[in-house]
Amino acid sequence: MVTKQVKRSKAAVKEALCGYLSISPWVLGFIVLTFIPILSTIYYSFTRWTMMDKPVWIGLENYIHMFTKEPLFYQSVKATALYVLMSLPVILIFGVLLSLLLNMKIKGMNFYRTLFYIPAVISGVSIAMLWTWLLQPDVGIVNSVLSFFGIQGPKWFWDPKWALPSVASMSLWKVGGSAVIYLAGLQNIPPQLYEAARIDGAGKLRIFFKITIPLLTPTLFFQLIIQMIEAFKVFTEAYVITKGGPLKATYFYLLYFYEEGFQHFNTGYASALILVLVVIIMAMTMFVNYTSKRWVYYEGEDKAR
Amino acid sequence: MKKDSMKAVLVLMLMVCLVGSLFAAGAKESAPAKEVVTLEWWTWDSEEYNEASQRAMVKEFEASHPNIKINMTLLPTKGFETKMTTALGAGVGGPDVAFFSVANWYPKALVLDEYIKRDKFDIGMYYKGFWDTKTQFNGKTIGLPLGVGASIVMYNKDLFDAAGVAYPTNDWTTDEYLEIAKKVANPAKKVWGAEILTRPFRAIWFNHGENARLYSPDSTKVDGYLNSPESLAAYEWFYDLMRSGVTPTVSDMATLSTENTGPIDLFMANRLAMATLNQGHMLNAVKAGKNFGVVREPGVGDNPRHVNAWSLLVGIWEGSKHPEEAWTFLKWYVGPEGQKFLMDNANLFPSIDSVAKQYKDADKDYVKGFLEVLNDTQVAIWRGAHPSGTKVEASITDLWDKIKLGLITKDQIKGELNALVPKAQAVLDEAKKTLLY
Repeated sequence: MVTKQVKRSKAAVKEALCGYLSISPWVLGFIVLTFIPILSTIYYSFTRWTMMDKPVWIGLENYIHMFTKEPLFYQSVKATALYVLMSLPVILIFGVLLSLLLNMKIKGMNFYRTLFYIPAVISGVSIAMLWTWLLQPDVGIVNSVLSFFGIQGPKWFWDPKWALPSVASMSLWKVGGSAVIYLAGLQNIPPQLYEAARIDGAGKLRIFFKITIPLLTPTLFFQLIIQMIEAFKVFTEAYVITKGGPLKATYFYLLYFYEEGFQHFNTGYASALILVLVVIIMAMTMFVNYTSKRWVYYEGEDKAR
Repeated sequence: MKKDSMKAVLVLMLMVCLVGSLFAAGAKESAPAKEVVTLEWWTWDSEEYNEASQRAMVKEFEASHPNIKINMTLLPTKGFETKMTTALGAGVGGPDVAFFSVANWYPKALVLDEYIKRDKFDIGMYYKGFWDTKTQFNGKTIGLPLGVGASIVMYNKDLFDAAGVAYPTNDWTTDEYLEIAKKVANPAKKVWGAEILTRPFRAIWFNHGENARLYSPDSTKVDGYLNSPESLAAYEWFYDLMRSGVTPTVSDMATLSTENTGPIDLFMANRLAMATLNQGHMLNAVKAGKNFGVVREPGVGDNPRHVNAWSLLVGIWEGSKHPEEAWTFLKWYVGPEGQKFLMDNANLFPSIDSVAKQYKDADKDYVKGFLEVLNDTQVAIWRGAHPSGTKVEASITDLWDKIKLGLITKDQIKGELNALVPKAQAVLDEAKKTLLY
């Protein structure tokens, strides 16, 4: 009996050891590349540091400066928040619509799916350059088409009122990537539900709102979180096209962070900036997560009970 | 006794000779050859000094300095910055010699004044303006200036001839610049007269007067500089240029001109009659067979003329284990030998006047025009002070945007400048606190 227990415990130890050994590369990588840098960032956010000399501890000064003395902080928060509000609906709604089209059973669908996904693998800088040309006020294709219909197009990226919507409209380009995720969600909806609805005489719109959308809410929830985080991280468009202008209309948070950290070498302050962004994103994610109980439907749940 | 003492002396002399010869032989046999030192040199390649020319230059140096080997590491510009910041910040693994192209690295460069004094290294050979503005930090010499670059106005002679307009000369003024731009522009043929300036507080600003600058020369005060009458006049001149209708639009400039290097593409395509470009563009225009001339940026009255110029600071990392050898390499590489080599084998315009005069096309008008501007006073926003000029400038870009986009009237500029003063002062004060001081 005792021998058996000893053998079992030896086997358990061996198994645990194997387990720890197997995960050790990831754990080590996490500690060195993620955990320590996070701790360091927290520490540096309380210092004045240019990366060249030893950090000088200044307590909360970076945070006090950020919240009380720095108008650029609020400008960048405002531009980023507006961008999130504008781009999220675009990517969510158009993503769903595109996935519905890609879910149709027609010939050559795989070709179309690939076609719409291609933009998702193209680098952000190339896309930004492309959009610069598309929305060029004088010779760009968008304004040329508008002028064909007698409409004088705006100056897009070069008009303080239109710059932010122009950058937000670039989210359309990323729709193909999210459509693939929705497509997977759509294909998980049991076909018998549609069949039953049709037998009961439900129309297409009714089926869409009463079956497709509710059963797609877990995917929508996932996409909302991921795309919201992505939207908060908007950078390339402003860095390449607008440089944060005109009149700071597209001066996004990460551009501000980049300038402070990598152009002005104000690394301590930049660390504080990035931590505040992490807190904002975490708060928003928790809020969305909290509301999800009201609108996300999981098949396994029994709401009637 | 006498015999004995004679014997003793003889024996002693013999011993001395023997021992002496042994030492002499030993010295001859076992004197260690001077140790070969390998220096780490980090660089990048550009049109002015491509990889092949730099590698060939290393061979040339090693041939004349057998005790020094150069390990040349060629990095992409962005990778260079990351690697330098990491190495210099960490204090380990830095290069012996490298470009100190980012102001944040200056405190980590070896101070060279003692070496210069000891070796009587002739700093007078460098263009004075470049030496004064590009090599000093906190009153100390932290590197040597490799090559020179400068903004120059290039004008398209064919477009000027077609419009029947006389070519500009070095003594032209900002008013003449505007007049010429209007005359030479041809909207029917989609030819613009002049480009939109990319930034304020460059040569044309300084040409308006010494107070037409972001802040005081000692980097303490914004009031009286940013909003000075001279600064206001410069902004108003820019306003007139923008409203003249002879420049490309802001969006045209953004899409049709090459990123960060000026509107060379528009100039080469005969769409822009005058453009503020640099010596690299000038050489490309020569290669493309363009019919062009070169003139310095326009002045204002009798005010001293300024040039927006640059040079690459090459320094020794303070943590170098071989500072002596690094100094030997540095003074050769950025001295007459190295710069002449890069001038002859690549496209470098040297920072040494006597070498520049040996340039293969030194007799051509465009080279003469370029070399002439190098003697003008240089624009130096943070000369010897601190590198926060860009940050303060960034704080006032809204006014620049408003003028470019036509969102402001000419009379409002003065009020805008006055309103920007406290904002810019706050940024300056904060920047001084956080950057290097």
